[in-house]
Amino acid sequence: MEKKKVKIKQRIKPGKIVLQIFMTVLALLFLTPIFIIINYSFKTKKELYLNSPLSLPESLNFDNYVKAFDKLDLVTTFGNTLLYTVISVFLLAVLCGVTAWAIARCKRKFFKFCYVYFIVGILIPYQALFLPIYIIGFNLHLTNTRYGIIFMYVATGISFGVFLMNSFMSTVPLELEEAARIDGCSVYRTYFSVVLPLLRPAMATLVIMQAFQIWNDYLLASLYVSKNDLKTLTVSIQSLFSAQSNDYTTAMAAIVISVLPIVILFLALQKYFIKGMTVGAVKG
Amino acid sequence: MKKKRVLSLLLATVMIASLAAGCGSGGGGSENGEEQVTLTILAGQSTTDAGIEDMIDEAMAEKYPEVTLEWECVDWGNDFQPKMQQYMQSGLPDIMIGKAQDVATYAPQGILGEIDGQYLDRGLDAARENVTIDGKTYGLVYNAMYQGVYYNRTMFEENGWEVPETQEDLQAIIDDCKEKGIVPFASHMIDTWAIGNVTMQFMMNDVFNKDPEWGDKFRAGETSFSDSKEAQTAYQYNKLIYDNTYPDTFSLEETACDAKMVQGEAAMKVSGSWSIQSFLDIDENFDFGIFPFPNQTGDSKLIFEPNITIMTSAETEHQDAVNKFLDVLTSDKDLAVEILDYTKTASMLKDVTPTFDNPSQSDIDKYAAEGRIVDVTLGNNQLIWGGFQEENAKDIAAWLQGDETFEQCLEASDGRVDASSAQ
Amino acid sequence: MKGNKISALEKKMSRQYFILVLPGFIIFTIGLILPLILAIRYSFTTWDGMSPEKPFVGFQNYIDLWKDSDFRNAWWFTIRFTIWNTIIQNIGALLLAVILDAGIRAKKIYRAVFFIPCLISALVVGFVWMKMFSNVLPALNDLLGTEFNFLLFGQKETVLAGLLIANNWQWIGYWMLIYLAGLQSVPGDLYEAAKVDGAGAIKRFFKITIPMLAPAITICVVGITTGSLKVYDLLVSSTRGGPGRASTSVIYQTYTTAINGRQYGYGSAMSVTLVVVLLLVALIQVKGLKKKEVQA
Repeated sequence: MEKKKVKIKQRIKPGKIVLQIFMTVLALLFLTPIFIIINYSFKTKKELYLNSPLSLPESLNFDNYVKAFDKLDLVTTFGNTLLYTVISVFLLAVLCGVTAWAIARCKRKFFKFCYVYFIVGILIPYQALFLPIYIIGFNLHLTNTRYGIIFMYVATGISFGVFLMNSFMSTVPLELEEAARIDGCSVYRTYFSVVLPLLRPAMATLVIMQAFQIWNDYLLASLYVSKNDLKTLTVSIQSLFSAQSNDYTTAMAAIVISVLPIVILFLALQKYFIKGMTVGAVKG
Repeated sequence: MKKKRVLSLLLATVMIASLAAGCGSGGGGSENGEEQVTLTILAGQSTTDAGIEDMIDEAMAEKYPEVTLEWECVDWGNDFQPKMQQYMQSGLPDIMIGKAQDVATYAPQGILGEIDGQYLDRGLDAARENVTIDGKTYGLVYNAMYQGVYYNRTMFEENGWEVPETQEDLQAIIDDCKEKGIVPFASHMIDTWAIGNVTMQFMMNDVFNKDPEWGDKFRAGETSFSDSKEAQTAYQYNKLIYDNTYPDTFSLEETACDAKMVQGEAAMKVSGSWSIQSFLDIDENFDFGIFPFPNQTGDSKLIFEPNITIMTSAETEHQDAVNKFLDVLTSDKDLAVEILDYTKTASMLKDVTPTFDNPSQSDIDKYAAEGRIVDVTLGNNQLIWGGFQEENAKDIAAWLQGDETFEQCLEASDGRVDASSAQ
Repeated sequence: MKGNKISALEKKMSRQYFILVLPGFIIFTIGLILPLILAIRYSFTTWDGMSPEKPFVGFQNYIDLWKDSDFRNAWWFTIRFTIWNTIIQNIGALLLAVILDAGIRAKKIYRAVFFIPCLISALVVGFVWMKMFSNVLPALNDLLGTEFNFLLFGQKETVLAGLLIANNWQWIGYWMLIYLAGLQSVPGDLYEAAKVDGAGAIKRFFKITIPMLAPAITICVVGITTGSLKVYDLLVSSTRGGPGRASTSVIYQTYTTAINGRQYGYGSAMSVTLVVVLLLVALIQVKGLKKKEVQA
């Protein structure tokens, strides 16, 4: 009898129920803005003005989506954003990995300096440096080119990437590397055959974090790219915000379209992300 | 050996990147037989203007198919100046579309090209005045807006209110409104630009109408906001509006504000032609008129603002194509009517009249016949928008919210004297 | 002989390490450090950002900064925003993480819900919360017949609270995830041992959980403070620094001064000041928190 009671008590602790309810309410609150975005994206202009913001759209019409699709020039901008994001993230993964590893392994003064040097980058508010960034980019013929914007994404993302990777390096066992070296592997070979496979979880974190940074970037894209066929999604969304400020139902549809891919990516890679966070960030 | 592998890997990545870049540059204007020209255009637009680029593209393709237009449309208030600054470091686009006041800002830098007389001649003479510097005209003014107090005509008739000429008349209407539970003024002070805009309207009628060189005198130290009773009166009108508007004006967006007015919650709105578009979008039968905001002396004028102004780069490599663009804009009357109807603005071209039904047109015609219209570019050229009017508007907002005293607000404007002009 | 060989090998290895670092080093230097140096140069001039002349004025801009009340106000807003953010976001994120770690059901769903907002760009977040405060929530009042004041962006007293809500909505899930990861790496037998020793839940939390989370706390505190000090995007699409100047951050002020106000030199002095402050704050925090980590 006594034992059974304890068991039941454990199964439905009142505290847990309270927590469960609390979290559900909180989660619903968190979802409200997202619900509002989706709700608005189906409304017509008249409904926007005359109905309560909380009321559901009268019918599920996709006009706003069609309009947003058209105004955003979605095929081009989506393709561009995807291209910039994928290539920049790939380059970042390669560069941050080797840089952080070299800094962690080589004990010379220069490498210690490098670490601090890269970390400073996290703290530089590049929003405030937009004109110098543009001037330098222009003089190096980087503006209005695809490689220019990718270059800038790599340059602004590398600090954080090195920081993240570097904090992960302590979990890579030195013995393996030494064994590889005794086998006559060069530094490069050691990295690619021994270290890189071990870095996978941290790489996953890096890829996701940088991917959504770059995907959502507005300032650099608006600075470096003005040609229509090079434009990114956020830049066209921003112009939609200002152009359609009195009919933001279309802007809301555009938001849904732009956020969806990155949310799907997150949900699909969630497992790796959490794992990456555990080893990548906490061991720092 | 291993070094090579790494190097080749790096090389491959670089190649992918440059390949991707190559795709982009290859996609641009390809040459085929006829001399294809692509013109770059930076368009600083107001909300009402968004969409006219498609109309212009179409008209251009019809008459000059060899010229392609590459548009970069940005918000005039927030992004035009940064973009111009950016391009002044690297080279301007062939064509820039902004406001008449931009000519005074950029022409002295020597970067704008003169506009050929044959195109200017197709426009009204009044269009040239404020875009001409030292006898050279750098801007082609395309359309114009009117600013003043928009009022609900039906409401005015029902309540027996006359269009006010003096502050006392206006106060009487405000009092009557309050008695009847009507909000006297619709406003959306959440937008600092709206505060800045109405302040310039007030300044025009109480300051610049009496002293057309007030701005220059201000810079010369002969007057200031702290000294000038007139300028202070102009600032004080903001308080009059604030005390007689929606309580949530600092949270109310333009569209919601206009919707409330159309639905009969408010009687008047100090604004400009851009409001017509949203009034009519909400209710196409809304009947409204316009009058100038009464000044102290009871002789205020309706405000006229040249809006879309086309400027060209002094160093364009495609002057011919640029001229073709100017030709289409000034000669294609169907295009002009289409744009004016869409933006609900007035024409600055000869013999072009928009066909949309503008309930306030009769009032505009009346003030025009009486010679009671004034070009706000006078004020905007002397007291520049970015860095001065815009910043002052923030102080006015802070003052209305009780964050600053009125004296602090005036002093702050005086402290910005160095930033009050582009030169 | 042997010594020589080792040092030769070491030399070779250093060279190889050096080659690995080089590409990143160059890209970073050109893309970010060079602009910073350029900005430092401009900060000694009265350049307007347009004309070719850049008159040199020495430290005048920095001296003027001391007397600039708008700049001071911007700092005051930014500091308050940062402090509140650091407190709320850290505690909130830790709390959520602890609850999620306490073995409630459907943990993964909650985790995803709290995290998703940070995938949305700050520009969009500002835009959406502006609609929330000015339209959506007031409509809730009408519906429920309540009189809550939801117009947070409309008053100078509440605009900070409104922005904190928007910012925390966006980021709390992100930091929660880091804390969650930290919690999961705490070995369970530590708790068991403490339980045996008769330590209560609260005591266990402060004596075991917090010290074990020290590295995560370092990351979160530094990340939140430096991120908050740089707040800009959120403001652009929501309050635009208003009402009045009540929510003007340092970067926002810098941007309007340098660009709209055509005082690029002066604006550059503002950004250089900000970089220096950010560096100092990060340095102090890392030093301080690391010390705590060691002690723990």
